[in-house]
Amino acid sequence: MKPLRLPPALTPPAIRRLGLADVAILCLLGGAIAAVIAFAREFEAPLRQVVQIDLRPSALPKYTLYSLARGVIALAISYVFALGFGWAAAKSRAAERLLLPMLDILQSIPVLGFLPGLVLGLMSLFPTRNVGLELAAILMIFTAQAWNLALSFYNSLKSLPDPLRDACKVAGWRASRTFWQLEVPAAAQGLVWNGMLSMAGGWFFLMVNEAFRLGDRDFRLPGVGSYMSVALDQGNGPAMALAILAMVAMIVCVDQLLWRPLVVWVEKFRLDETAGGGGGEAPASSWVLEFLRHARLPRRAAVLRRQAYRTALRAARPLERPLAIARPVIMRGPRFALAHPVARWVGGSLLVAGVALAAAAGAWHIWLLVRQLGARDWGTLIGSAALTFARVMGAVIVSTAWALPAGIVIGRSPLLARLLQPIIQVVASFPAPMLFPLVVLLFERAGVGLGLGAVALMVLAGQWYILFNVISAVAAIPQQLKDAATAFQLPWRARWRSLYLPAAFPALVTGWITAAGGAWNGSIVAEYLEAGGRLRTTAGLGSLISDATAHANFPLLAGGIALMSLIVVGWNRFVWRALATRAQIRFGLAQ
Amino acid sequence: MTPGPLLLEARHVTQRFRLPNGQVIEALRDVSLSVCEQEVVALVGPSGCGKSTLLRLFAGLARPADGSVLYRGRPLKGVLGAGAMVFQSFALLPWFTVAENVAMGLEARGVNGAARRDAVARAINLVGLDGFEQAYPKELSGGMKQRVGFARALAVAPEILLMDEPFGALDPLTAENLRSQVVDLWRDASTGVNTLVVVTHSVEEAVFLAGRIVVFGSHPGHVREELVNPLPYPRQERSPEFDGMVDRLHAILTATLLPEPAPAAPQRLIPFPRVHVSEATGLLDHLLSRPDGKGHVFELAEDLGVDYDRMSAVVRGAEQLGWVTTPGEVVQLTLVGREVMAMDDSARKDATRARLKKHPLFGRVIAMLVESEGSMEDEEVLADLTIYFPFIPADSLFQTIVEWGRYAELLDHDATAGRLMLTGAVEGAPDVPAG
Repeated sequence: MKPLRLPPALTPPAIRRLGLADVAILCLLGGAIAAVIAFAREFEAPLRQVVQIDLRPSALPKYTLYSLARGVIALAISYVFALGFGWAAAKSRAAERLLLPMLDILQSIPVLGFLPGLVLGLMSLFPTRNVGLELAAILMIFTAQAWNLALSFYNSLKSLPDPLRDACKVAGWRASRTFWQLEVPAAAQGLVWNGMLSMAGGWFFLMVNEAFRLGDRDFRLPGVGSYMSVALDQGNGPAMALAILAMVAMIVCVDQLLWRPLVVWVEKFRLDETAGGGGGEAPASSWVLEFLRHARLPRRAAVLRRQAYRTALRAARPLERPLAIARPVIMRGPRFALAHPVARWVGGSLLVAGVALAAAAGAWHIWLLVRQLGARDWGTLIGSAALTFARVMGAVIVSTAWALPAGIVIGRSPLLARLLQPIIQVVASFPAPMLFPLVVLLFERAGVGLGLGAVALMVLAGQWYILFNVISAVAAIPQQLKDAATAFQLPWRARWRSLYLPAAFPALVTGWITAAGGAWNGSIVAEYLEAGGRLRTTAGLGSLISDATAHANFPLLAGGIALMSLIVVGWNRFVWRALATRAQIRFGLAQ
Repeated sequence: MTPGPLLLEARHVTQRFRLPNGQVIEALRDVSLSVCEQEVVALVGPSGCGKSTLLRLFAGLARPADGSVLYRGRPLKGVLGAGAMVFQSFALLPWFTVAENVAMGLEARGVNGAARRDAVARAINLVGLDGFEQAYPKELSGGMKQRVGFARALAVAPEILLMDEPFGALDPLTAENLRSQVVDLWRDASTGVNTLVVVTHSVEEAVFLAGRIVVFGSHPGHVREELVNPLPYPRQERSPEFDGMVDRLHAILTATLLPEPAPAAPQRLIPFPRVHVSEATGLLDHLLSRPDGKGHVFELAEDLGVDYDRMSAVVRGAEQLGWVTTPGEVVQLTLVGREVMAMDDSARKDATRARLKKHPLFGRVIAMLVESEGSMEDEEVLADLTIYFPFIPADSLFQTIVEWGRYAELLDHDATAGRLMLTGAVEGAPDVPAG
């Protein structure tokens, strides 16, 4: 298989002596290897009940790299998952029917609630090592990253033009080649953009994932999140500031070194051949990619790789004949299973039965837990759910109140959008929960309790989705509509009422869905948090879940998570979805 | 070049599709067609007649629901290895260079290394794209993209070249140029390509290229007629023989597209073609400007700059309203048509309304609406249309009904609520008698 390549180099591919760029790349490569080894060693370290977090500034870079490594590993797993999941859903109708609703639910439920179970389960698998805890943290990050990637890949596969598929079939390409050279490249843009979002989403619960308490046990992993939480515990101001700084530095670095170059590079895989992006913006550029394109080492590496591939082929030649003989024999089973109608039917039924069985077992187990809850518990649950629901809606309203006008102002000016977009992107990637304690202290000084303060925290968690969606929708308004508004001299009030607000509305609804999801998720941290060395709580479903976790009250935890999942999924299905459909019909720009 | 032995054959092929709304459409019914070596076969017919579907069956890209496709007498399994295909939309991978696109089919055929480079270079040379090997498709014009499409097909030295409207997306000049090059390639023995199957909606193109022209009818797709084209290659467009052939094919197509109305069963529901109000009045306007208010369908199409398919749909629509008649292949403005054109806008609406109430299809929709007190869910109407016209996408028929109903101030549609209503039904009782 030929891997995706960088665009044609700007200089002729002659091999010359090493340049400065190559030295830099070599250094980076060394650093990456060292980081991986250090990380692996940490993995193997025996489990300590309480990991001592070193608050000296010199320890912070190491911690930041640990956190980054977790995020990157989780993202790699997310990509593998997304490719498999999206492919299965796009290729098989039966799989599609099962997988899409599953995705829909998985991405809207508060996965944080599953952390305790996950940690305990994995810890019992690896009782003497840190591996279980590390795996749990990575899996938690994964659950915040994977779903939109999978959905993006699925959508790309579904919207791939038929003639391209036909052309590959006529060319006699095997399914694997079509996958790597047609389907994945065609989806590359979506995968990169969504990877960017996923990475940001993965940081959201960094502090909880790395410093996690269950009952009287304190699970801690070295990382910038746990550094922050220890700094908060000790009320160490400078350390807090440093942790925030380290986080921002990491986000900026990842953006500049990884995402910018990727975003520019995947422009090559745009399917529609119209030049330039929406809104006539200038083509994106990345200094890192330019740097790489000028470097000579990658090209030399490509030559070496090709040679290695040829050598490997030559070495494998004696195996070719036995393989050629064995393959039909080995493949006979699967071929038969796929081709024979009865075998297919049996296989399909077994699969359905398996899924049903697993679902039944899951339902039974949650029932076993929830059954232990009394009538009073249910009363509390429903009361706190109502409180949190009101807060979530309040957060959505407050976010809309500032983000809608701001988004319209930014979106209608290409210059402003170009200037602010990267800044907003970095700010939005910052994990809001890290700021929660500081915000709460600030509010306290102003005499506002956590009951209302939690709403502000939820705003922090959800506002960006609204802002982003509104900006991109307004930026995508066809120039001719704007020209028409100018030509007919609409006063600004009428211009907003008749052009910008309706055009932004469908995107606004999408933003609401995600923002509300973020607010629900955020409630788990926002209604129950430690700040200034003191635990602060306010009644609500989020604090109920956190409290149940802290006291290892598993029935209540299960009930709380189940209730929150039901509310979020139900509200998505019946309210947001209906609103989104209507918005699209009434205000969609496609004519 | 006389046709050689049998190469490809479709035997009693039927193909069905399921639309997203669950409606099952029969694209082909009981179609039998054979293609011999050394032949150029053109498949022509209105859109939706299944000609492209048949081409995909020949290419092995789909399996027929019934019947079988044979290659040299054996049932075709998988993709037709002896064939290559050219697509209307080019279907080039935008992230591959011209050379890589051309090489797409070679690896699977075991052509590697130097042989592959040679084959690519030869194919690129054949289509005259030397120097563009390392260009990306987005840097090329439409005509050059399609040259890459041809090079990709020629590179595998196919026995048979399947082309799906290969010149449809090109401007006329480029199309004409490329068309004569295709004939040259076919006549040139060194290319190895000696059999062509081309799907087209252009009559001139079919006559220019093909030795045998197969005319398809629609709803469901079937073979209407086969026409042998004995003109010697290279063919001269605008020669009397060529024009005579074009006229013959036009006549056959017109008979396919505008069948003489069956005298019996006047209440039988007939679908209304997907035609806009302005198109129908535009046709009448144009006819008024002609001597005697008449003209051949294909002349009209040429004058108005629309394709033949579209023109015949408009003619059928105007005919159902009684505005034109079609004796043979001539379109004749009727007295009613002249009167309608002489009216002002509101009188024209009144006349159209009176006419639509008498139209069986509109009459049925109106009657249904009256029965349900003037308003119905879209879904109910769609379901009814699907029952009556299983071979036509109900959505587009529905859209047409809504548009004409709105124009004649007969129907109203609430897209948000998904309801179809009689005009005035909201305020009070329906004032429209059952049709």
